[in-house]
Amino acid sequence: MDLLKGTLDVLVLKALTWGPRHGYAVARWIEDATTGQLQVEDGALYHALHRLEKQGWVESEWGVSEANRRARYYTLTRAGRRQLAAKTATWTRYAEAVFAALRTA
Amino acid sequence: MADLPHGIRRAFRLALGRPPIEQEVDAEIDFHLEMRAAELVERGMAPEAALAEARRRFGDTHEWGMAMSEVDRERVARSERAEWLSDLRQDLHFGARSALRSPLFTLLAVVTLALGIGANAAVFGVVKSVLLDALPYADADRLVRVYGRFLDGSNDRGPLSAGTVTDIAARQRSFVGTAAFATLPRESILEGDEPRVVQVEWAEPKLFRVLGVKAALGRTLRDDDAVGDTAFTVMVTYAAWQQLLGGDPGVVGGTIDINGITRTVAGVLPRGFVGPGGDADFYYPLDVRLLLRDPISARGSGWLGVVGRLKPGVTVDGARRDVAAIGADLAREYPRDNGSITLSTVPLRDSMVGDTRTPLLVLMASAGLVLLITCANLAGALLSRTISRRKEFAVRMALGAGRGRLVRQLLTESALLAIAGGVAGIALAEGGLAMLRRLASRALPSYAELSLDPGALLFTFVLALCTGIAFGLVPALSARRSNTQATLRDESRSATESRPSRRLRGVLVAAQIALCVSLLAGAGLLIRSLAALTSASLGFNAGGVLSVNVQLPADRYRSLEEQENFFEQLEERLRGLPGVTGVADATALPTAVMQRNGIRVIGAPPPPDNVLPFALYAGVSDDYFRTLGIPLRSGRTFGPQDGPDGPPTIIISESMARRFWPKGDALGAQMRMGPDPNSTPLTVVGIVGDVRNDPTRPDAEPITYAPARQDVRQSRFLLVRTSGDPLALVRPFRGVLTALDPSVPMRDAMALSAFLSDGLTGRRRPVVLMSAFGALALLLASVGVYAMFAAMAAAREREFGIRVALGSTRREIAALVLRQGAVWMLAGLVGGAAGVVVVARLVSGLLYGVRPLDPVALGITLLTVVACALVALLVPVRRATRVDPITTLR
Repeated sequence: MDLLKGTLDVLVLKALTWGPRHGYAVARWIEDATTGQLQVEDGALYHALHRLEKQGWVESEWGVSEANRRARYYTLTRAGRRQLAAKTATWTRYAEAVFAALRTA
Repeated sequence: MADLPHGIRRAFRLALGRPPIEQEVDAEIDFHLEMRAAELVERGMAPEAALAEARRRFGDTHEWGMAMSEVDRERVARSERAEWLSDLRQDLHFGARSALRSPLFTLLAVVTLALGIGANAAVFGVVKSVLLDALPYADADRLVRVYGRFLDGSNDRGPLSAGTVTDIAARQRSFVGTAAFATLPRESILEGDEPRVVQVEWAEPKLFRVLGVKAALGRTLRDDDAVGDTAFTVMVTYAAWQQLLGGDPGVVGGTIDINGITRTVAGVLPRGFVGPGGDADFYYPLDVRLLLRDPISARGSGWLGVVGRLKPGVTVDGARRDVAAIGADLAREYPRDNGSITLSTVPLRDSMVGDTRTPLLVLMASAGLVLLITCANLAGALLSRTISRRKEFAVRMALGAGRGRLVRQLLTESALLAIAGGVAGIALAEGGLAMLRRLASRALPSYAELSLDPGALLFTFVLALCTGIAFGLVPALSARRSNTQATLRDESRSATESRPSRRLRGVLVAAQIALCVSLLAGAGLLIRSLAALTSASLGFNAGGVLSVNVQLPADRYRSLEEQENFFEQLEERLRGLPGVTGVADATALPTAVMQRNGIRVIGAPPPPDNVLPFALYAGVSDDYFRTLGIPLRSGRTFGPQDGPDGPPTIIISESMARRFWPKGDALGAQMRMGPDPNSTPLTVVGIVGDVRNDPTRPDAEPITYAPARQDVRQSRFLLVRTSGDPLALVRPFRGVLTALDPSVPMRDAMALSAFLSDGLTGRRRPVVLMSAFGALALLLASVGVYAMFAAMAAAREREFGIRVALGSTRREIAALVLRQGAVWMLAGLVGGAAGVVVVARLVSGLLYGVRPLDPVALGITLLTVVACALVALLVPVRRATRVDPITTLR
């Protein structure tokens, strides 16, 4: 399945709701959460992370990974949390509307 | 940048390798690929295949890496901008607070700056409107004016004859077009309920095309307007339309009566238009071809000017050579009329700016000097303030403010002060310009509008900002050098000045003294020059003389007898007024004689190369010399025998007699005047004292006077001498004139002395302004000297206490302080001497009767500066000698 426009940003934000993560962890979470249904290049995901940082929705900091390697960790900012809530509401309404329409036989 | 030698990289601290943003992105991607590969290996892939698969899943690492770096760069740039702005806000806030904390210092600084910046803004306003602003013509930089230069040196910017003008137009190869006009507007009478004397200018219709001027109303003149003697059209200037015709928009196509002739108004010229010939109310179409019919008016008499518009690609120099060559040809073809002149070409702006350029540049330089002194002064003041604020800076640095940040903070503070001073300065400049507008409109070119336009305001703002940085930089850099730890630790010596800071302050004071000496020397020279100018006699006595211009309507006084009779009656009645001791008339006021004629002495060898010498010429009545107190040296003045039927006579000035009859046999000799070598000979019947026609020149130019009876004119200047106030005579004069003929208007009634002083206004103004600047500079420099000695004395108070305790006398202490400061003052005076040489050269063109290195002016300047400095240092030195060892050493 190809990704609808804007979906990746919401998923990335969602991936960070449980605390700081590096890019690889975000990628793994998205794969797990969508049961590998979504086809997206890892590069696109990183690009999204950097864009969200420029928007001020995430912050990044260099830290040390579980494997004792230097890694860049991303954290959701307050504004990012608000953005995620707003986008989640929009997406839910959208999906429900489309779903409802497709169900009418 | 990649192939710079290593040494250069190190010298400029250029980063090696890629910038950090790209490095971080690479590291992040590497980390991801490793983690992904490790995951795949765990699931059973071979390591190499795993890495390849990880790369495949990532996509193009190079492309994505570039995209990520781009996003990061934008983010960093945006946050840097935000940080800079928030720093600036903080600096401004802090600066305003620190300015308010010491209100007296702030007030003084702002006032000082306002004076310095205001002086510059005002002078720049004038310079801009006169020298920089566009002339009221299209593409005015491509316009030039052609003059006749008299080879005898009497006139560099002389008029041209109709023949010369026509030949220039026909032979030139440099201009798109040329146009002729009368060099001087003529007085005429606009008839109506109340007749008015107006200025009428003759111009070829194509003048407006050459200048690129379009009518504001109606049309400009057309070539056919000038043809024949039937089409009487006229162009009205905006000012005349407003003031004389009531601004009536229906005026175009209507008629007005000037000098008894009805003319149709073709159009109204745009507001602000000034012709190259000077201010005029009306423009008549001129047909030069009509002038060519008569041999004398064709080549013999010159009263025309020529403007030309350069062809694209032709320079002023090119046109100058072209026109000069035509002039040389004409001198060969018409040796009688053109042999005595060459043709010179000058840019139109130069011709209209006239003599104001040098004084304006001198003033601009003076204002600049004042600003430099202001900067040095404030730098010194801020320096001591920085020293007393050293603790504050040390605390801020200890709390983490960088040195660069501190410098920025101080610069923001000084820029704030400067901008406040700039705003106040603009208010001052506006006031000053308003004053200049009232005082000096006569002395400036008439196209100049004195005002602070957006350009001048921008200049002032930039100036203020530069000033702030200039005087803030020195203390800011010295604050950077200070040692935080030592300052915080060592409390007792916090008032001591460091050696470099002391030296810096000395240099600043020396600079102020040097600039002040230069400026005052310039002012002193100009004052001396003005004094010489006004004290030397002009050769006549202007006190108590009323001068009035009276113009006869041409249609009512047609014959010369009628005209002569009218003036004789008028003068007879004026003599009857109470208090009147003398009445005379002349064709021109003394010091304002414009006409010059070629002179041929009968019996003397012809002039070399046929270069005719010129002399000033005026027609005067019998009582002219007695009324103005011009002494008769020998012979007689004019009388009834010099009538139109009597033998033609002439009276000459002493310098004229000396120059043309060096053997002293002028009286009774004969000469010819004018271009015609066969004109009627004139007999010299009298020699009178010299009159300096140009008051700004020390030597008197030769003058010839003809009897008014033999040179009858419709327009004359009446001169009435009274024992009382000449202006009290204006009303009786008008009464006499109205009783004689109410249709004859008078104008320009004024005391002759006021006329003379007006003529000197242009000379006086730069002197007054430069003196004011000099006084300001002196005040500022004195404050600077005071501040230096005060700080020096305060810094060494403890030391002086110890010295007094050990037995030093007050005299020794005073000598100690003086010696320290005297070095800098001496340095300042030496620097000033160098400045004086530069200033003297700059003003030398404005000096009259004074040598550029005039010992009196320079001596007084030096004494004034030294005296003021001594007064300024007296207080701090006295305080130093009064040091009480008990209080200072406690």
